[in-house]
Amino acid sequence: MQEEQSGPPMDTDLDDRELESRLAKTWSTRPGFWGKIACVDHKVVARRYIFTAFVFLMLGGLLSLAMRLQLSQPEARFISPDRYNQIFTMHGTNMMFLFAVPVMEAMAAYLVPLMVGTRNIAFPRLNAFSYWIFLIGGLLLWLAFALDAAPDVGWFAYVPLSGPQYSPGKRTDLWAQMITFTELSALAVAVEVVVTVFKQRAPGMSLDRIPVLVWAMLVMSFLVILAMPAIMFGSSTLILDRLVGTQFYNPAEGGDALLWQHLFWFFGHPEVYIVFLPAVGMVSTILPAFVGRPLYGYMLLVMALITTGILSFGLWVHHMFTVGLPRLGESFFTASSMAIAVPAGIQIFCWLATLWAGKPVYKTPLLFILGFIFTFVMGGMTGVMVASVPFDTQVHDTYFVVAHFHYVLIGGAVFPLIAAIYYWFPKMTGRMMSERLGRWSFWLIFIGFHLTFFPMHILGLWGMPRRVYTYQPELPWASLNLFVSLSSLILASGFLIFFIDAIKSWRSGPPAGANPWNASTLEWATSSPPPPYNFRRIPVVSARDPFSPGNDELTVATGLRTDRREVLVTTIVEALPEARESSATDSVWPFWAAIATSIMLIWSIFSPWAVVWGSIPIAVALIGWFWPKGEAEDES
Amino acid sequence: MAALSFRHGPAWLFKIGALFAALGMAAAIGWVRQPREYRVDPPISAALEQIRLMPNTISGAPPEVYFALNQTYETGGFDLSQGKRFYTWFGCASCHGDGRGGSGPSFMDGWWLYGPSMVSIVSSIRDGRPHGMPAFKNKMTIDEIWQLSGYIKSIGAYKASVSAPSRNDDRNTRPAENRAPAATLFEEGPNPVHPDQGPSP
Repeated sequence: MQEEQSGPPMDTDLDDRELESRLAKTWSTRPGFWGKIACVDHKVVARRYIFTAFVFLMLGGLLSLAMRLQLSQPEARFISPDRYNQIFTMHGTNMMFLFAVPVMEAMAAYLVPLMVGTRNIAFPRLNAFSYWIFLIGGLLLWLAFALDAAPDVGWFAYVPLSGPQYSPGKRTDLWAQMITFTELSALAVAVEVVVTVFKQRAPGMSLDRIPVLVWAMLVMSFLVILAMPAIMFGSSTLILDRLVGTQFYNPAEGGDALLWQHLFWFFGHPEVYIVFLPAVGMVSTILPAFVGRPLYGYMLLVMALITTGILSFGLWVHHMFTVGLPRLGESFFTASSMAIAVPAGIQIFCWLATLWAGKPVYKTPLLFILGFIFTFVMGGMTGVMVASVPFDTQVHDTYFVVAHFHYVLIGGAVFPLIAAIYYWFPKMTGRMMSERLGRWSFWLIFIGFHLTFFPMHILGLWGMPRRVYTYQPELPWASLNLFVSLSSLILASGFLIFFIDAIKSWRSGPPAGANPWNASTLEWATSSPPPPYNFRRIPVVSARDPFSPGNDELTVATGLRTDRREVLVTTIVEALPEARESSATDSVWPFWAAIATSIMLIWSIFSPWAVVWGSIPIAVALIGWFWPKGEAEDES
Repeated sequence: MAALSFRHGPAWLFKIGALFAALGMAAAIGWVRQPREYRVDPPISAALEQIRLMPNTISGAPPEVYFALNQTYETGGFDLSQGKRFYTWFGCASCHGDGRGGSGPSFMDGWWLYGPSMVSIVSSIRDGRPHGMPAFKNKMTIDEIWQLSGYIKSIGAYKASVSAPSRNDDRNTRPAENRAPAATLFEEGPNPVHPDQGPSP
């Protein structure tokens, strides 16, 4: 890197201690309440994101227990049908929009900058903004539920049921606007991740040296960028139909009810992979640390990730097989749905090969990964079954489908996510989680999960439809339903132990070193938890595994300023240093911008004029956000 | 930022602000929460029958229970929507059209033959009126009649309430009730001569 004789203070000739104190001064968040609100450190924001998402997971889990209570016996009277409709809608909406996608994006926002060796995520203020938007969107939905105004139209809110004629009141508008909130925040994070991965990698981290997790987050972010606009268009047009009386979904006036299903699933199917691909990345990154050998088939895995991402946009119609589409179209989407099993199979075989050739150490993260492989393969097999039209026609909207997607989503995403929490918890908090409680929670979750969801396949084949609030005693479903309800308590107790473990370890877990798992990716090269500037000096990467147990010396680059927040910009393919770029300082304006945006979005449920008048505070907040600092920003 | 630095207030100010924001949001939602009553309790239903009309059968006093129900038949989104369905299902449109009238009077011309109060409308539907308005008391339950009455009032409202129904998934001949059609479509209707108290009260 070039050296400068005079001018601004650089990190070139400083000893470590002096450099750390100067960087800490530049990068630290100011203390106090407003300092916290203004914070744009990607680690702090991501930790809030993850925490909030897990709170929503807990709430969503309580809803599912309520449903299981109601279904535990025929003709039960615990919950009224109207409330039940709200509960299953809330459960699905909450889990997909407020837990699964945000938590995966939050993991990306936390880990990607560390893993690529940079000091902050790209567009850090946008990152803070996205968190506030997500939080307010989640509060909106749950407040609505608390006030008996929660949506009751199912998590995919098909028109005409969700349209103006059949969904009176503001319940569906609240749902649609919550969608807008969460998709806005998801899009913001996705853009940041793409830019961070493409332009802020440590020098030398060429494309073929990027950790698999970072690849997965990159592909996930592209899926978000391509898929979310479809649902934001959908939710906005739905509100327009309901409030202003447009005719997007009214067949009698030239609209099309099926348009909604296409829009929703064009987003909804990639959504599954938005949740699943980060999990693939997590598994691929965690696995090597517990088998003592590098990952088998890096290239294959990355190719499989990209293939899955592309194919995921060609499957959405398999959610609509019973709608009555042309035969040829259905056949095409059957073929593409089955084709996506190929990259998924490649991934599975890469992991099996890694396990086979290594010496597995069965700690909690590895247990959850093995649970993932087992459960996800089962979910994948029922997936291939429902990909075929005749079979799907039989089990559509039955508990078979409920079982299938819980196998794929909990097996394919939640298991790896919990593995990831156990694995990265030391990095995030500086403390280890309990191995003993971890094992308990794994076995309870694993056994509880299968006992809860496997019988649902059978219930579905016996004809029990989804979303019914009760069933008659004459139907042969009662005993299995009672069994499922009891098993769900085992599953819930496993999650309870996990939460207890996380809270306990956070406060008083044994301290973790910088690298407790002897892992080889860059986030372990810094202390736990990392300092606000992430790395004392930007690492220089010369191999796929930047440092391995035998080699814990890292080469580093110097030449960044210490008196302002500066990151290194590198080229896309080879990650050659290109420029020094300033990184945004703390600001409260993202928070106010989020408040202004929320006012506009919530107001627009009641009056279209909100879009006009509500945009004024947004403009004010954005002017504050982007107000020039009075000094040249891009002088390097 | 230096030029437009935001002077931070103390933290408690913010916390109170956040509390008020949350309460405000809750109030906004609570305002339109519209609890749904699918099966009215028999005592309430009996009480809803107890409307006291003036001797000339125009206007009067609604039953006490109507206020205990928060006047839901005029303000609740669900009840108004139900009323809109009954308007179609019980063939109201065959005489009253889309609300602009036909062989029956219009609801949008600002003129209510028996007055615009809920009790008058409920009574018209329940007991019928001279010159062709049939009684529906043997065809609808009393809460359905109240729902339908609330809806009919919303057709003629000059200012739309946020809980008024939106358009149907159908061919629409006028703006939906949440767009205050009476404000834009005000017209005298096919029967321009209005005797003081209806054709023959």
